[in-house]
Amino acid sequence: MAQALFDRRRVNGPEESFPPVYDSDEEDELSGSNLNTRQGRSSADIRPIYLKPGLINQANGSAYIETEKTKIACAVYGPRQSRSTTYNEKGKLNVEVKFAPFSCTRRRAPMRDAEDRSIAVLIQQALIPSLRLELLPKSTIDVFIVIIENDGIEGCVASGSIAASTALANAGIEMLGLVTSCAASVVNEEIWLDPTVNEARLTRGTLLLGFMPALGIVTNVWQTGQLTIEEAIKSMELCKERCLDIHSVVAQALLDSAKEQ
Amino acid sequence: MSDLPLLPGQPVPLPKGPHPLLGPGLYARDAQVRASVIGRPRRDGSTLSIPHQKPRPPAPNSVVLGSITRLSPVQALLSITVVDGIPLPPGEEFTGIIRSQDVRATEKDKVKISDCFRGGDIVRGLVISLGDARSYYVTTGRNDLGVIFATSESGATMEPVSWQEMRCPRTGRIEKRKCAKPEGL
Repeated sequence: MAQALFDRRRVNGPEESFPPVYDSDEEDELSGSNLNTRQGRSSADIRPIYLKPGLINQANGSAYIETEKTKIACAVYGPRQSRSTTYNEKGKLNVEVKFAPFSCTRRRAPMRDAEDRSIAVLIQQALIPSLRLELLPKSTIDVFIVIIENDGIEGCVASGSIAASTALANAGIEMLGLVTSCAASVVNEEIWLDPTVNEARLTRGTLLLGFMPALGIVTNVWQTGQLTIEEAIKSMELCKERCLDIHSVVAQALLDSAKEQ
Repeated sequence: MSDLPLLPGQPVPLPKGPHPLLGPGLYARDAQVRASVIGRPRRDGSTLSIPHQKPRPPAPNSVVLGSITRLSPVQALLSITVVDGIPLPPGEEFTGIIRSQDVRATEKDKVKISDCFRGGDIVRGLVISLGDARSYYVTTGRNDLGVIFATSESGATMEPVSWQEMRCPRTGRIEKRKCAKPEGL
């Protein structure tokens, strides 16, 4: 008769209970460990990509991309009439990036700040050489990117460019080719592709490449930190090879979605 | 041709014979023809193209449907909602202008805009040029172009009687519009 445990007047909890385990407890153990070898995958492996176009019905074109801890949704509206008063012979591309307040470890205020704009500028630079804007005079194409979960800026820009290019193809906008993007960071003397936010903290220099595999044209290069010239060129070559693999993923996703329509 | 649709940047397998003209949806670079949109290439005579299924902005010589939003003594403002048979998404209309000299082909200088269009009329027109920054220039100077649907002052949908007049079925009153010739006549 354990009367202290079973109180008939109240709702009793379970007999045995344990404190909850948070993800961050597990991760802190991993990042503190040695820097020499990469955890979980080889230095030239990128994280598996899940890409699905056409999920947002009200937009002209859309795409959702997910790679482990980076989740990005992209919607394309257009071509619509430009609201500017000047006559433009070529169309304009307008990219807007927004972080969801729950996307980062610390809550982000819903206002747009400099980080959103810098990512938007990089994605715009990656996409513009691939679009045939001279066929769309007086028109604007609006690309809206929402970052639902964020695992490092490089991952956001790379995945955002891939999602935006897929969404533009899904919207039927004339392009010269699909743009894929990959990031590389130098840790000690190794080049690790597609760094997570923990890996990016260990690195001394990062390079992000936007590439159009169909025509072999590089559309965007962004380099931060310190890299020697050989490392930069080697990173670009590795990224180009990976971009070819990502291109086949994008192609498969677009073909599957075209079949469903 | 193969069963799978082509993706942007993918080389297009050319049919045997003379080199075809390239229509919309394809481009040529370094002597290689590639696709520009997702789709299967189709051949119409000597032109190879990938037909569009998604809404596009108006281009010169595209047939547009729109509704009249504003009238002035020299022009009518048109809100373009359908381009080449493909409806635009709601909220993304383009604006067009029908100038008084573009309303009809004959007696262009003696046009009274209020005898040709009224606000709310659905009009079929042809885009003649890109116009200025705010609007495209549209013409209705052909037999099959002009007002398709109009509502009379009493609220009923009118029927066209001639190229100049429409009749309200409820009251029998004749109102003046520049009507489009119905298909099949």
